[in-house]
Parts: sequence; C-alpha cells; structure tokens
Amino acid sequence: MSQVNTLHLRDYPKNPTKVYLYGTCLADSLFPDSGIDAIEFLERQGIEVIFPQGQSCCGQPAYNSGYTDEAKAVALEQIRHFPLDIPIVIISGSCGGMMRHHYKDLLKDEPGIEKFCDRIFEFTEFLVNSLNVQLNDSGPAERVALHTSCAARREMGVHITGKKLIEQLDNVELVTHDYESECCGFGGTFSVKHGDISNVMVSDKTKNLVNADVVRYVSADWGCMMNINGSLEHQKESLRGEHIASYLLARNAMDNTGDKS
Amino acid sequence: MSVDQVNPNDESKYAASARAFRDNVSRDLANDELRSNFRGAMDYLVDKRKTALSDSDELETLREQCKLIKQRCLVKLPHLLEALEEKLTANGIKVHWAETITEANEIIAEIIESKNGKTVVKGKSMVSEETALNDHLESRDIECLESDMGEYIVQLAKEHPSHIIMPAIHQNKKQVADLFAKNIEGFEHTTDVDALIQQGRNVLRDKFCNADVGVSGVNFAVAETGTLCLVENEGNGRMCTTVPDLHIAITGIEKVVEHLSDVPPLLSLLTRSATGQAISTYFNMISHPRQQDEKDGPGEVHLVLLDNGRSQMYSDDELRQTLQCIRCGACMNHCPVYTRIGGHAYGTVYPGPIGKIVSPHMLGLEATTNLPTASSLCGACGEVCPVKIPIPKLLLRLRQESVKPKGAPQVMKGQGSGRKTSEAFIWSVWSMIHKQPLFYRTSMWFATRLRFLMPKKLGAWTVARSAPKLAPKTLHERIKEREQAAKGK
Amino acid sequence: MTSARNNILSKLKSQVKDADYSKLPAEQGFNYPQQSFSEQLEQFITHLENNHAQIIKLTRAEIGKVITQELAARNITSLLYGDNSQYTQDIEQSDSSITLNKYSFDFAQHKERLFNDTPAGVTGSRCAIAQTGSIVLWPTPDEPRTLSLVPPVHFVIVDAKTLYPSFGDLIEQQQWADKLPTNAVLVSGPSKTADIQQTLAYGAHGPKELIVLLLNS
Ligand code: SF4
Repeated sequence: MSQVNTLHLRDYPKNPTKVYLYGTCLADSLFPDSGIDAIEFLERQGIEVIFPQGQSCCGQPAYNSGYTDEAKAVALEQIRHFPLDIPIVIISGSCGGMMRHHYKDLLKDEPGIEKFCDRIFEFTEFLVNSLNVQLNDSGPAERVALHTSCAARREMGVHITGKKLIEQLDNVELVTHDYESECCGFGGTFSVKHGDISNVMVSDKTKNLVNADVVRYVSADWGCMMNINGSLEHQKESLRGEHIASYLLARNAMDNTGDKS
Repeated sequence: MSVDQVNPNDESKYAASARAFRDNVSRDLANDELRSNFRGAMDYLVDKRKTALSDSDELETLREQCKLIKQRCLVKLPHLLEALEEKLTANGIKVHWAETITEANEIIAEIIESKNGKTVVKGKSMVSEETALNDHLESRDIECLESDMGEYIVQLAKEHPSHIIMPAIHQNKKQVADLFAKNIEGFEHTTDVDALIQQGRNVLRDKFCNADVGVSGVNFAVAETGTLCLVENEGNGRMCTTVPDLHIAITGIEKVVEHLSDVPPLLSLLTRSATGQAISTYFNMISHPRQQDEKDGPGEVHLVLLDNGRSQMYSDDELRQTLQCIRCGACMNHCPVYTRIGGHAYGTVYPGPIGKIVSPHMLGLEATTNLPTASSLCGACGEVCPVKIPIPKLLLRLRQESVKPKGAPQVMKGQGSGRKTSEAFIWSVWSMIHKQPLFYRTSMWFATRLRFLMPKKLGAWTVARSAPKLAPKTLHERIKEREQAAKGK
Repeated sequence: MTSARNNILSKLKSQVKDADYSKLPAEQGFNYPQQSFSEQLEQFITHLENNHAQIIKLTRAEIGKVITQELAARNITSLLYGDNSQYTQDIEQSDSSITLNKYSFDFAQHKERLFNDTPAGVTGSRCAIAQTGSIVLWPTPDEPRTLSLVPPVHFVIVDAKTLYPSFGDLIEQQQWADKLPTNAVLVSGPSKTADIQQTLAYGAHGPKELIVLLLNS
C-alpha cells in the first residue's frame, strides 16, 4: 500500500443483488440512453436495479452557486426516495461527489446522512470494486481516449476504475491525450458566468482530444461531455464522447464467447 | 464587531483592479504571447514539483503533518504572537502591529524617516505588495527599489507581480531584454538569460552597497526563539537583511510558528511544492540585530505584523483554514484558470486560487465578487496544497457569503453584495421544481415535448459550443415504460 | 499602535477562548529510511553538485594548496578570510602569490571594497545536511555574515564529520532552539534565479560560485 491518502479508501459491498440507480438530471432530460444502458448493463450482471421515480437532481447547480438553502431543499427530497439500505449507483462522478461528500456538510443535521452518503457509488467504481466485472470485448479494434471528470478524479478517486474497465477491452487501445487530467472547463454555472475562460479551456481540451487521433472518447460524466461534445460540434469536428455505460454495454457481449483466448 | 467600517481612504488600490476582473480577463485572454508564456511556465513548475514529490507516501504524510502544524499554530495564534513579540523584543528586534495597510505603511515610513533613510532595497515580500509600500514610500520621497530579479523586472515595467513565487513569469526573455534596453544605462543588447541576469546583478549590487534600508518579508516567524526565517535563491534577501544598517521585515500575523522544530517539515514542502527544489539556495534565520562585537549586519531590526483582513478569516472556523497558507504558489501552478488568464487578470496582489480565497477578506466581497465564481471547482489546487487547504470548499463558502440575503449574521466584509434578485429568483424556482417529484416530472415532460422550442443560442454557452438537445422522452418515462413492458410480458 | 496590537489580539483571543490544546491531534512526521554515512555523504554531494556547487575532497593539510590552485585557475589573486577561526592557519598556508586579507574591519566602513574589490572569500561551516545538500553557516565576529555573501566566489570548508541526515535531526540534536546566533544560514549552492523565462542563471546577487572544500578523513 503506497498511498496514505485515505480520502478514497472505502468498503465496497460484495456481491450485492439489488441496487438503486441515480440517473441525474442531465441524463434525465438530455441523455436518457446512458441511464437505460447502465440499467441494462447492471441487469446483465444479475443485479436488480430500482429507479425511484421521485428523484430529480442532486442539488449541485444551486449548491455550487452559493444557494445553499435552495440546494438543501432539493437534496433532502432526494434522500427520501432511497429508503432501502442498498447501494446507490450513480452514473456521473460529479453528482456522485456531491451526494457522497457535500451532502455530509449540506445536510449535516439530518440523522443518518453519513450512512446515506456511504451508499453512494459511482458507476465505474461499482463495476470494478463491488462487482469485479470481467468484460468480453466483441467490438472492432479502435483507439479511444478517456476523459475523467475532475470530481470523479479528485472527489471520488475513480479515475483509475474507468481506465481499468476500458483496459479490459481487448480490441480497444486506450490512448492518453495531452493534459488528460486537466479540467474541460465545464464547472456548471462557471461555464456560463465566466464563459470566456471556460471557452478557452474547452477549446484546449477538444484540441488535445482531437490530436489524440481516436475514434471516440469515453467518459462517465455528462456535464463534461455536454461541454466537450458541444464544443466539438461547434467546431464541426466529428469526434464525440460516449457515456461509459453505453460504451461498455455495446462492446461487452456477455453471451458471445468473443475471440478471447 | 463591525467589519464594514472602513475608511474609504484606506481602500487598497487593488480593489478597483479586482472589480475590473471581467475586463482584465478579456484583455489577457486575447493576448496569445501572454498565454503561451504562462502555459510554458506552469508546465515547467508542475513538472518540477512532480519530480521532487514523487514518493506519494512521503508527500501525503508531510501534507498531513504540515496541515496539523499550521492548525495548531493557528489555534494558539494570539498566544504565539505574544510569545513572538516577547522573544523578539528580548533579542533586540522591535515589533510593530498594524491593522490596516495604511497603518503598516505609516509605521515603516516613520521608522525610515527617523533614521533619515532615503533609499530602500526590498527583498521579495508579497505583504509589502499587499500594502503597496513602494507607492507610499515614493510619495514621501523615499526611493524603494525591488531587488529580487523578477520583482525588479516587474518594477521596471511598472507592473505588479503576476505570480507570488515568480513575479515576472508573464514575460519572456525577449520582453525582458527590451525592458532592460529601455531602462538600464549602457545595456548591451542580448537575449541570453545569463547575460541579462549579469547586467541586472551589476545594477543591483550597486544599490545594495549604498542603500540605507533593507525591507524584507518573512516566511516563518518562530515564537520559541524569536527568529525570522526567509526562503530565497538569489541572495537578495540576505543582502537586504545584512548590508543596510536598518532592516524592516513585514509579515502577516499568520506566519508565526510555535517551535523551531515546526520549520523543517514546512520548509521541505514549501520549496518542493513551489519550485521542486529540495531546499532553496538560502535559508536565512535572523534572531538579533548586530551584536556588540560583530562587524556587520543591521544595527536595527524591526518586524511589522499586519492584520489586513486576517482576523476576519480567523473568526470563522472554516474560513480560518485560509490562514494555513505558506505561499508556495503550487495552487496557481496547477490551476487551469490561472494558466489561461495569467496573474494580472485577477487584479489582486495574490492571484490564482489562493488569491481567490484571501482577497475577499482583504478587499471585501463586493470588490472581489467575481473571484470565487471564476472557478470550475476542478479541485487541482486543493489536491496539491501542501497544507491541505480545501480551496474548492472555501470558494463554495465564499460564493455562499456572496449571495447571502440581507440580515444574515455578519461573517465578512461585503457579504451579500453578489446577490442579484434575478438570480436568486431563478434558484428559488429551480428549487421549487426539483424538490417536488411530480412537479419535476411534469416539467421535464413538457420540456422534452416542447424541445423544438429550445433556442439554438444559449448566451455564453453557445459562443463556443452547440446547444444541447433535449431528448424526446425523459429517463423517468423510459424507465417507466420499460418496467411496464417487463410486467406485460 | 498599541491599540492595533490590542485590537488584533483581542479579536483573535475571543475566537479561541476555550481552545483545549490537549485535544489537538497528534502530528506524525515521515520516517525516512536510515542511511549509512557513505550514503548520506553521497546524497549531500549529489544535491550540491546538482545545484552547481563545486565539491573538492581534500585533507586539512591541503586546504592552502587547493585554494591557491582554484584561485589561480580563476585568475584571482586575493582572498578575504576570517581571523582566529578554526581554519585560519590552514588558509594561511596558501601560496604567497595570493594576497590574503583578513576581515578585521568594520563592514560599514569598507562596503565599497567588499563589493568591488573582493573577488573571493573563504569561511568555515558549523555542520552540513545530507537530505538537502545544505551547509550551515553560523557567522561570528571573526567570520562575519558578508564574508560568505558579498564576494563573487565563496569557498566553504565543510568537515564531513559534521554531516547530519536532515535539518530536523540537526535542530534537535544540537538544540538550536536555545542558542540561535544573530544570523544562521543554510546554503545549498551558488546564488541563482529562474526569474527570466524559467531559465536557471547563477550568480544573481550572492556568490556566483560556491566551492565546497570537503574534509573527509
Ligand atoms: S493555498 Fe496552498 S498551494 Fe496555494 S499558495 Fe497557499 S500553501 Fe501553496
């Protein structure tokens, strides 16, 4: 063990049979496919997935803007809809960071909040550390890049797990792009309040991704991808990002034997 | 406590430049040369630090240790300051206290005038930048020359430091050569860095030799021994504190540490985080003025302890962590925003992430309202901070203070000044929708059905991006349908 | 002014009235692996050399000779040194072609001379630090502060026997807290700056060259 950094050390439930899915507001209205794909993927692993219809948004937009009371009201509503003591799998690292870490502050007076926060797992960390999934790659050979959101990297410490999953895909070459760990410039309201700074950041990010000469990039965060894809589209670049849940689902042919030896 | 009572004459000149943040940003983002200077410099420093702190075990142990050292010293701060004063006084060093920058400048000018001082050489001191000491001394006919190479360049260019460790990082060697050509008599044109430094050296050695007063900052003030510690590479700090007969040090009240043994771990992380050096070329520890039988060194040494908003940071447990800072600059080196906009755009003495969390206390939240929001909260700063200041969290906190409604308990100067009725209204509507599941689902149902109405242009967002497109059906709906289909089977 | 003092202190004190120091968490330093003396010496030399210092290993009897050679190589004909210090007599063994000047004057009266007419100085040192390649100067009335600062070439005599693993060890073992002098300085190379376009240049203000005469018997 070479890390003394205990921030991200945690216990993972082993072989859970039932989980909640937290879809996030972005996936809900803009990118629902990734939510469906995540459920599909989990179900194929033999897991029952519950999607509480009462969920809306983790509260991060208001929280990051300094509107704590408004964020709190929304956050409180979320936790009500996840009563069972089972893992809550969330398909976005930054919403994960909000619910796993910031809820502890925001809702510090709420009884049992620590326990709730400890049930939050980002999708890729859950796949790797709880399910120990073994992927069978059935897709064609291709080069892809990975974009890990800053929250996933720094708040959740899950930049490793996304990489581990992609690396399991035999036909996929994972390409490192320049300044890979640097922020794409999204930052929620930052991208609107300080659009000019954000624009420069996303231009650099897209340039580095395009220069990596990959067919797509994969990410587990719709915030970043909305930003990066929006910029790529604006620049008339063909490169696009794909949510890791959709990508894994598409490539992993559980029923195929694949050509794995 | 009334934190809003400030004499307008006391307002720092940086308040105005901080208010101009948005304009500064547009100006500097348009400057490609500047951006490439910063990118090059930041890449260099990031790489240096990484090499010097390659053992993550050591790094994390030291960060935790240094954080705890600073937190202990802060809990004991008032007592350590008293102990420091007592010890320094016993050692023969005179201690002064200043609540505001004006007071600090006044104290320093008076000491200098009492000795008929006319020329001052200054070692690198960000606190004296904070007080704009040079301007003040000049207004009293005292010449004040910066002697750190970077500061010297910046002074010649009539600018301010753009980085707390490398003040002239925004200039490249060609620009420095042009500047020297304009300002140094007999300058032999060159863009060779060694030759440039040599010519700077010649000018400055002359000044050291003849200056009446040396002014310096302090990196650590040790209460236990009454010692002022200075970290530097050039030797100008030693010059300023050794050659003139009068040495005046100025520092923030948070720089005091309890024990001498607190220094080695802090020093080790400071230099490695800053420039990747195992230690700086010089670590200078001053405990007395010249003693009777000694042949050199200043006959008088003074220390000015400055508050300037620090006691306000101290008054809140969360914000107090700001005072842990040892001014290494790593947070700015790793900041994607700083790398893009450079140090001057902030308009404040301290730029970058640390600047965003200290300046609101020094200048008030009204003048600095754009600083805490100008962050994507990516967390790169907090990850590298050697004393583990949770910078992103403090930025969030400052955002909260900035938009606090009137009548909330007073935490800091200018709180609530960033609250706009329109924005507050949006968030209250947002909250109302998202805290009522049915309302939320209905809204989203309508939004997705009416998606053809969604504008193609969304303000700042679509300047460089295409607008996101709403899905035909929400995830909520699709899952419901999926569940119903499964049941039907 | 006293009001500033009182205001600051009372503001601070009101915040930590009931601070319970016994509740402060334990602080844990990093345990560096133990190193043999030769490893430490090696580390010391490597650091200094990386920082552009010149290291010359020699015996005490060779001090005069080596100084003479090094000065000759630089076309320097005079050397400033300290009176009555540990190595005074060894330094005085240098060749008669070198003009030896004792620092037996008051600095203020001879500033110009020190700045403009003193190409090299030599001092002893109190001890050294392996972990960072640092030399501890502990100026005395005999070897004043400016002797190691103003001349462009600084010879420093270091006895390998005085090597400590780290700064922390040194402070503790020598109980520095009780006896700090007017000025103590850790020196880890010649003066340098990277202030112009991150390009390292030596001899910013202090000595351009640091020549370490390392006694290792
Ligand atoms: S906040 Fe941390 S990283 Fe930034 S300058 Fe201060 S100590 Fe260094």
